[in-house]
Parts: sequence; C-alpha cells; structure tokens
Amino acid sequence: MLCRLTITLVAFVPMAAGAAPANIDVRGADGRPLAGAIVMIDTPRKPAAPIRFTWGTTMGQRNIQFDPRILIVPVGSTVTFPNYDKVRHQVYSFSKPKKFDLKLYGKDQSRSILFDRPGAVTVGCNIHDAMSGVIMVVDTPYAAQTDAAGHAALSGVPAGGATVRVWHPSIRSNGNVLAQAATIPATGFTASYTIRR
Amino acid sequence: MQAAPALANWHGLFDFRHLRTRMTVLYAALFALALLVVAVVAQVMIRAHAERSVRAELATSGSVYDRIWALRAASLFTSADVLARDFGFRAAVASGDRPTIVSAVSNLRARAGVANAFVIDGTGAVMGDGPADLRATLRTLPATFGNGRHDAVIATGSGTYRLVVAPIMAPVEIGRVVFAIPLDAAEMRALERLSAIPLSATMLHRRADGHWASRSGASVADSWPNSGIDRFVDGTIARDAATPKTLDLAGDRAFALAIPLAGRGTAPEAALLLSYPLDTALASYHSLQIGIALAGVMGLILMLLGSRRLASGIARPIAALDAAAKALEEGSRAELKVEGSDEIARLAESFNTMSAGILEREHRITHLAFHDSLTGLPNRTFFRQQLETAITRTAKLNERAAVLCLDLDGFKGVNDTLGHPIGDALLRQVGLILDDLASDGTVSRLGGDEFAIILAGRWEDDRPRALAQTILDRFRHPIAVDELHIASAVSIGIAVAPHDGPDGDALLKSADLALYRAKQDGRGVFRFFEPALDAAARRRRQLELDLREALFTGQFRLNYQPIFDLARDRIGCFEALLRWQHPSRGNIPPAEFIPVAEETGLIVAIGEWVMHEACRQAAAWPAHVRVAVNVSPLQFRNSGFSNIIVQALTRGGLSADRLEVEITESVFLDGENGVLQVLHQLRAMGVRIALDDFGTGYSSLSYLRSFPFDKIKIDKSFVDLVAQDPSSAAIVHAIVDLARALKMETTAEGVEDRDQLNELRDQGCSSIQGFWFSRPIEGDAVLAMIAGPMSAAA
Repeated sequence: MLCRLTITLVAFVPMAAGAAPANIDVRGADGRPLAGAIVMIDTPRKPAAPIRFTWGTTMGQRNIQFDPRILIVPVGSTVTFPNYDKVRHQVYSFSKPKKFDLKLYGKDQSRSILFDRPGAVTVGCNIHDAMSGVIMVVDTPYAAQTDAAGHAALSGVPAGGATVRVWHPSIRSNGNVLAQAATIPATGFTASYTIRR
Repeated sequence: MQAAPALANWHGLFDFRHLRTRMTVLYAALFALALLVVAVVAQVMIRAHAERSVRAELATSGSVYDRIWALRAASLFTSADVLARDFGFRAAVASGDRPTIVSAVSNLRARAGVANAFVIDGTGAVMGDGPADLRATLRTLPATFGNGRHDAVIATGSGTYRLVVAPIMAPVEIGRVVFAIPLDAAEMRALERLSAIPLSATMLHRRADGHWASRSGASVADSWPNSGIDRFVDGTIARDAATPKTLDLAGDRAFALAIPLAGRGTAPEAALLLSYPLDTALASYHSLQIGIALAGVMGLILMLLGSRRLASGIARPIAALDAAAKALEEGSRAELKVEGSDEIARLAESFNTMSAGILEREHRITHLAFHDSLTGLPNRTFFRQQLETAITRTAKLNERAAVLCLDLDGFKGVNDTLGHPIGDALLRQVGLILDDLASDGTVSRLGGDEFAIILAGRWEDDRPRALAQTILDRFRHPIAVDELHIASAVSIGIAVAPHDGPDGDALLKSADLALYRAKQDGRGVFRFFEPALDAAARRRRQLELDLREALFTGQFRLNYQPIFDLARDRIGCFEALLRWQHPSRGNIPPAEFIPVAEETGLIVAIGEWVMHEACRQAAAWPAHVRVAVNVSPLQFRNSGFSNIIVQALTRGGLSADRLEVEITESVFLDGENGVLQVLHQLRAMGVRIALDDFGTGYSSLSYLRSFPFDKIKIDKSFVDLVAQDPSSAAIVHAIVDLARALKMETTAEGVEDRDQLNELRDQGCSSIQGFWFSRPIEGDAVLAMIAGPMSAAA
C-alpha cells in the first residue's frame, strides 16, 4: 500500500526570521478530517530550553482504556501509568523505541517508564485486547494531535526550512509516519495534508 | 415366392374397406395413443423426480460443504489466533525474530494439519514456505476481508487457496498469521465423498480475462468451452443464490450447482461447481422405463389381438349380410344363418324375411306377366314365346309344331244374358277342359273368348285333327257353370308349321284365318288352314282399302229402281241402290263389298253418303214420288243416326214424308228397345219405315206388333213362285191380308213377268218392284221415266 502526503501550501513570502503559527489539517484517504493524527514539525534549530508540553506525561487506565489514548511526550520523559480501574492491567509495548512489560498491577498503583528514544510507542494491556494507546516520543516542541475536525494548531514555529511529519495508525509506511519538507514562513504556516493510498 | 401370400395377407389386413380392419386399427391406435401419453407422462415425471432429487442432493452437498468449511475455518482460525495472541510470539514478531517466527509457523502448520502457513509482518514481509506466487499474493493482502470474515478464497497462478487469516495484535495489528489450504483435486475428492450421490466437485476460478476456468491437475484448461459456465456462475453470483441448473458439460448433460466462494474483496475469485450427469441421474430409472415400455408393448399386442377378435365378431355377420345382399341383388336366393339375438341377428332375420318376400313377389310378377289372371293359363306373351321356341325346334331338332286357335261361339250372348261373372266362370271352365284334353300341348288364353293350343315335339300326323275333334265332341255337351248348364260350341282353326307359316306370327295368323273360315262355315267345326284362305283374306283387305278410297274419291253412285203403285197406276217410289264403279276392276256388285263395309264399319260412312245423295236427288222429283233408302243395322245402332237423317233431309231440301227407310229384321237382333226408340223418332219426323225382306231369316210376327211399319216388303223368294206354287201364293196372300189388317202397305219384290204381276194384283198387293217393270236406272233417268209411258206398261 503506497502512501503519499500531499501538501497544499498557502505560503507567504518570509518577512523576518522569528516564530510563526502553523495550522495544519489532516484528512484521511476517504477525504474526511482525520482525528487522532499526530503532527510534528522538525526544525533545524533546536530550542535551547527543555521541551515541555502542557498535557503532562501521565497515561492512566480508566474504564479499561488508556486515558489519554494518545500521549505526546518529549524524549527523556518518564511516563507514569496509574491504574484507576478496579481490575488489574498488564501494560506492555513491543514498539522499537521502547519495549516494556509492566507486570500486573492493581488499583491505585502506578508504574513509570522512561522514554529515552523518539518514536511512536504502541501500548496495550496483555489481558485486555481492546485497550490500545500510543505514546509519541518527540524531540521537537512543535507537535500536536488533530482534533475531531482533523485540525492541529502549533505556535512559535521558527520560520525557515522544516520537515513536517504526520503519524497515524492507518499510515502503512514504516512506523506509521510520513514526512515531508516544508518552508515555514514568518507570517505563519497553513497546510492541509491528505493521506493517499 | 414365399413373400407373395404374406404380402396379400398384409394387404387384406390393411384394406380399410373392411369394417374389421377399421375397428382394429382404430382401437389399436387409440390404445397406442394412450400408451404414448402414459409413457410421456412417466418420462416427464421420472425426469422431474430425478431432477428434484439431484437438485436437492446438490443443494444439500453445497450447504454441507459450506457448513464443513465454516467449521473448519473457525477451527483453523482458532489455531492461528492462539498463536497470534501468544505473547512470546507477538514479541518475536514485534522484534522481527525471523527464525523464531518461522519455526513457530512450521510448528503451527504441523499442529493444524494445513499445507501452508505464513506470517506477514507489519512491513508486508511474508514468512513461511509456499509457492512463490502465493507468497507474492499474500504480500498485497487487503487489511480486512468483507463482512469481518477471517477467510477468503483466492486464485493464484499455482492454484486456488482458501486463506484463513488471524491478525497479530500488539495491541494494534503488527502482522498476520495466514493458513493457505489448496483447494486441489484431493480436496474435491474428499468433498465428493461427503455426498450421498456420486456427484463430482470441481473448483472454478476466474481468469484474468474474466472467464471461469477449472484446473486440471497443474495446468489450467478450459474443459467446457461452450457450456455457458460463465453465464451460469456469474448469474449465481449476481442472484446471490445457488440454484441448480442443467448444463452441457463436456458433451454430457448434467445438473450443476455453483457455489461462489467469498474472496479477498467483494467479487468472488473462485466457485465450487457441483455437477451430476443427467444420464447417471436417470440410470436408476432405466429399469422402470424398460418396465413401462415392456408393459406397453404387451398391452398393445393384447389390445391388437383382442380388438381384432372383437371386430371379427361384429364384422363377420355384417360381411355375411353384405355377401347375401349382393347375392340377392344378382337375383339368387340368399338365406342367412341367424345366430344369437342381438341387433345383427335381428337384422339377419329381417333380411331373410325381406329376401323371401322379394323372391315371392318376383315370382308372382313373372307369373302375372306370363299368365292370364282369370284362367291361370299362359297368356298371349307366354304363348308367343312358346310358339317361337317350338318353331325353332322344328328346324333344329326335326320336331313338329301346330297351333289350334279356338273361339267360343256365342260367348258374347252368354256375357250379355247371364252376366260377366258367369261368363268368367265359363271361361275358367273352358280353360280347365282344354287343358285337360290337350295334355300333350300348351293351352293359352289369348284374350276374350279366344284360346290357343300349341302342339310341339313329336306327334302323330293325325294328332291336330284328333284333338280338334275331341274338343268339338266334348263341347257338344253343355258345360256346368255354377249350377247352370251352358251349351257352348267352339270353332277351331288349325295351322301346322312350317308349311302354314315360317314363324310364330305367320302361323298364328294362318290359324286365325282357318278359325275365321270355320266360323264362316257354320261354327262348331274345325278347319285346317289352306293357302286359298290367305288369298281371300288378302283380297278382302284390298277391298277394304279400295272402299275407303272409293268413299273419298266419289266412286259411288246411286241407281234407282221404281216401285209401281198398283192402286194409283203410277210410280210412287224409287229405291236407291248403291253402285260402285271401281277404276280398275269395273263394276263391283254390292253383295261383294257391302259385307266388307259392314265388317269394317265403313258402312256407317257409306250409308250417310247414300242418305244425303238420295235426299238431294229425290228433292228434284215430283212431290208424289218418294225415295226409299236401305239402312244397315250397324247404321241403326249408331247413336247419331237420327241426326244424319235430319241433316240429309234439310240439306237436300226433301220433306220427311217423301223418305222411306228400309230396314231388315236383323236390326232387332241386338235388342228391341233402342231400335224402337229410333224408329219412333223417325216416325215423329214423318219419315216412313218399311220392313224389308219380310218372310226370310228369323222373321217374327212379334216385330209387326211392336212397331207400326208403313210398309212390308215381301221377299223375292215368295214372289218368284207366286204364280205357279199355291203354297207361295198362300203365304203372299197371308202376308198381304196381315198387312192390310195392320193397315200397312205391301210391296212385292223381284216381279219378273206378267203372271206374277197379275197374281199379286189379285192378291191385293199395294205395289210391285222388279225387272218386269224396270231394272234400276241411273239417277238422271228418273225424271224421264216418271214423265214417260211406263205407267201404261204396267
């Protein structure tokens, strides 16, 4: 299955070097807005400050499901997996960036794992097949997941050349990620990506 | 030739003019038709039943196959799923531990007992052993099959496979465990063994060009190029319902059922074809069909024999009737044997009655045609036949033939006086007598009172004469008829062949002439034919012809003989006398031609002419001179006689009292009444009536009393000797006295000398007539005589 990322750029002439907002829409192969996709923009200049996201680094288990189901964390984060359910869970991952297996643990117990390599880590519960979650380990501060409208809004992206990456389970390439080069104008970057088969 | 009679027999069997054949053929045809209908219905039902059972079996097999596969797929899926869910296995797949994965798959393949097992990882890499094209196909397997199925049937270059796929979830899909079971010949044979009937299972796949094809071993071949398999399978897929149908597979008709097998996507790539040859399906019914056919043939044979027998039973009596009717038509007696009491027997009975009736009537008609109904003797027709036969035999066999013609004398008198019933009885009696007397001859009645006897064969020379004499002798005795004894004589004429006539007609004519002669010769005698008779008869016939000629060409004329009135000494009357001057024979005396005229009836016409001529001439005479005209009894009997006289008087202009009609006693022979009536009519007119030839014949004085004649004419025979013979004189005297007493005049005829005249004058006779006074004279001399000195001579 061949996947392509087509980009519709609405680019403006860069006026000055500086931070710019990026608004990105992702659409599935059927052309509908794709929720739960992760948009990441890699820029050549890495920010000096440690990366920090507003949503924290906790992925709980609530009602026999991961909460949240998609968690974006910076590299080197330690993610805690508190169990809010009455049942026990065995959280595991076979993903290459981080393989782990948290043996059964009960309610109000918590485990934590250090994610020291970037990449998508699919987590599951060995005794609850329906439970599935993704922890996206990134080394860029410009990452967000699309909302129900398939929209992701990023701010403070440095103008200039960049690589836009989109992750989603339906993407059939290695690591479920597609990457595309882009130029971020100073006035802001607006793009719409459609996953094509 | 052996075949000829058989052929003829067949010909007869199929001759549709025979009722029997028609019935047999009709029955047999009807039965055969019924049989045919039964056979067709049986065949249709057998076929329908076979089809139904095969279809049911096919459908059952199809669903059994589906069911088995559902179970097997579920079982295989479970095996695969168990592996796919194994944590270690998942870990191995996730970590791309290829040797571990391959060994696990190999282990699974052995455990599940499947041909091929693979693992496809998240990158699409295929792990496990199997044909290259299968592996290539697996790499592009879609993420899911329709309807969440775990299995699909795919067709690749190397074969058709059923895939069972179990995803490896960790927890998202990181790979798949795939079983590929080849749907090969062995699989098909195993499937076939599941069925109760020996159907055949074939796996079809859709080729790249869209056609459906089967696999034969390793190679792909189109076994059934023109079977319409494409349409059938595509139709089944389109309808989404497997319906058994009849297909033409490899030249054999077969029931077939296509079961589409769900593939990767929505369109099936393969289909299972279950087929069952029609012949095989129907084979089990062959014994039934043969049984029906045999029963039909046997039934037809029995039917043929039975209907033929029945038809014969009906047709034979009818054929007999037909033959009898034909025989009757040809005139022979036909009698049928009556068997039983059915319609045909009654018909035969009626036929017999009818046939008997026809023959009886025919016999009677023949008898009537040839026999006289009164006497039962042969009639004239039969007589002539017999006579011809007898004459023919005289020439050929030297036999003899003679005809005796008989006539009863005075038979008319018997009829008139005794009545017809007595007359008929007399004829019957005469017939019996003749038949009795002429036992060696054939007695026939020719008509009226005429009989004839044929003497044929061999007889003595004297036989005709002897027979005639015997008959005459017998008739001398009166014949007893109804208590009456009638004296009846016969006259007989005899003619002998061939001398008297060469053929029947001539011989009978000769016999007739002889009979005529016999009658002329005084009756009660027999006469043989003589040639002279024939000549006389011929002369008579000529005379008859000449008479007619004479009447129409005016050869007749009248002479007049004066009658001298002694009292007044003058001619008081002339008697008209007919004269015939024949152109070639000269003067013919009345004595010769008058009898012929009387016999032929010409006398009536001649008499009329005489009456007219006499009246016409006499009108010119002085008023005191009358004319006397002789009238024949035949004229008298003619009903128009009075009118003739009136006409003659009127036309001639003669007053009635100057006409004197002379009649003889013979007018009274046929009865007095009619004659008297006519005489009174004439008298009333004023015509005078004279009785001629008085004293001869059967003179009866009673006539004088019954009618007051004006005059009596004394016959010449008395006048001849009146002068010499006292007895004659006495008779004349007596007649004259009688007349005077009765106030009648008298005329003496044939006065030839003075003595006679004197004697008659002395006797007191009124008038005389004769040569002494004058011979008859021509009409134009009459006036001269009246005026002349004749009176003085008297």
